[in-house]
Amino acid sequence: MKASEVFVLISIIVFIFSLAYITSLGGLGQLPPVNVRVLAQRYLELTWNPLKPFMSSSGYESVTAIVWDFRGLDTFFETAVFYGAIIAAIAIYRGVKITGKGKTIGMSPIARTITRLSIVLIPTVAASIALHGHLTPGGGFQAGSVATVVAVLIIMVFGRKAIIRKGLTKSRILLLRSLGLLGIGFTAVALLLAAIALGVNAYIFQNQPKPFAPLGFPKIYDGMILGGSLLLFNFFEFIAVTAGFTLVLLLLSLDEKDVRRVVVEK
Amino acid sequence: MIEVFTLAFLMLVSVASVVAAYLAIRERDMVKAIVFSAIQSAMYALIFYVLMAPDIVLVYIPVSVGITPAVLLFVTKKTERYDGD
Repeated sequence: MKASEVFVLISIIVFIFSLAYITSLGGLGQLPPVNVRVLAQRYLELTWNPLKPFMSSSGYESVTAIVWDFRGLDTFFETAVFYGAIIAAIAIYRGVKITGKGKTIGMSPIARTITRLSIVLIPTVAASIALHGHLTPGGGFQAGSVATVVAVLIIMVFGRKAIIRKGLTKSRILLLRSLGLLGIGFTAVALLLAAIALGVNAYIFQNQPKPFAPLGFPKIYDGMILGGSLLLFNFFEFIAVTAGFTLVLLLLSLDEKDVRRVVVEK
Repeated sequence: MIEVFTLAFLMLVSVASVVAAYLAIRERDMVKAIVFSAIQSAMYALIFYVLMAPDIVLVYIPVSVGITPAVLLFVTKKTERYDGD
């Protein structure tokens, strides 16, 4: 590093620290309160509260309870936007054939062996993050992005064709992703459908029984906290996110020549 | 006392992230720049962890250290590895 570069770096750091100092003095408007805010107190109180069953959610984890229960509709539309973005990516690559034929050039045997070990371990971690999302930090999106690292590793170390040869073709990944989103949608209206069949009242995105809406997802089974709809939402989001990311990576890893032949020349 | 240590740690990590970001911008070799960018993201993940946001850490590490560099590497492969003048 040259002396001038060090000087530039130090001035950037000094600038950032002075900006942070001005902000902490309240130079950019009123500072947020240091204490836990009223809204946060409500969330913390109601996430798991057997004394207030009509207002509480069904898991220990506040973030998952907020994401999929208190503000479930927000997350549903977030997932829908993610789904639409991937549809756009697929639309750009339409007509490009993805086959597993031909020779693959992978990495060295050391990289291959280590990857073979870790592609067993990573899905285990991802599954624990997804299925324990209502009890410990984690959830569907987190688990999905962890599981996508497997796809990254396989594409990088063994080559794109290895994924297709193992049976994960484009249409199957698309199917998995659609099943994930359908599952989320179905979980959101499941109680409503059941209520129509039984002739009682229910809401969209209802998790636990509410006043005048007696239906609810199972909260505890055999002493084990199931988390009601949180578990189902986390599981389906896990599938949808994993399949979506894997599909985009698969499309991005295609050979430029093949893509150009279809996208530009036709 | 613990608060002072936490703040000092946060300061160190954020300075390291600034250095990594600067190196990522300066670097002409795109692959090295992607690695620097991943280091910067790892520093951010540490900050999130110290600020008690484990949910964000769980999504930030795979996305910023795994998926984003992978996407950028694919894109680099389709364009040029070395940035010209």
